[in-house]
Amino acid sequence: MTHELLNGLSSAEVEGVLALGTRLIVPAGTSLFRLGSPADRLFLTERGRIRLTLPMQVRGHEEDILVEERSPGQTVGWSALIPPYRFTLTATAPLETEVIALPRESLREHFAAHPAVGYKIALNLAVVIGHRLQLFQTMWVREMQRAVEVRSA
Amino acid sequence: MEMLLMGLCMSVFGLGVAALAFGAATRSESSDSAVQPELPLVKAVAPARFFSDRVPVPPAVLPRQVPIEVLLLQIENHVRLEQAAAESFVEFPTHALLHSKTTSPFVN
Repeated sequence: MTHELLNGLSSAEVEGVLALGTRLIVPAGTSLFRLGSPADRLFLTERGRIRLTLPMQVRGHEEDILVEERSPGQTVGWSALIPPYRFTLTATAPLETEVIALPRESLREHFAAHPAVGYKIALNLAVVIGHRLQLFQTMWVREMQRAVEVRSA
Repeated sequence: MEMLLMGLCMSVFGLGVAALAFGAATRSESSDSAVQPELPLVKAVAPARFFSDRVPVPPAVLPRQVPIEVLLLQIENHVRLEQAAAESFVEFPTHALLHSKTTSPFVN
């Protein structure tokens, strides 16, 4: 399994980072974390799928609306490394899913001891965050364009 | 002679009745014409929609026809399609890809 967060690391470096984590099995239909809860761990998806949702009012009822899906190799919960360390989405497993949970404090200590590893992971994290930013600014402009067309029709 | 005078009186009486009836008929017509300006109000209630493809439908009615489960699936499908379109743009940014159309029922 190749993880996007560990790109460019040697095998020994990857092993060193993964040794900090704990493998978790998330049963189908179970939340990994919820919107607003403290983010003290980030997760590497090993198997299955994670749905990232935000609440939306649909016909007077609050529904969790899909925002993104994460598949094996992808990172979930990078809010654990970014202040204010609170999850900004709800993560749920639609099927049995396996993740590796990496505690923030363990990562910080590891990065302090191995700055080269911390640097590579920080760059990989910037790629993950930057990609999401590009996707969502594109989706926002597309929705704005439609809103403008509806208003000027 | 008396018969002639009687006939003359009857004719004058008949003419008077006819004149009264004519006057009454003329007054009712003028009062009807005073009501005429209200006609546009009737038109305003039922506007003609000939050759128009925009038939106003109460917005609250249409969504109710779709079960909530179907609506949620449509929203999810819309998100997936929009994300795929955004991915295409980020991979190869062009004006055309930025506003490319999808098959989502929310935008068609």
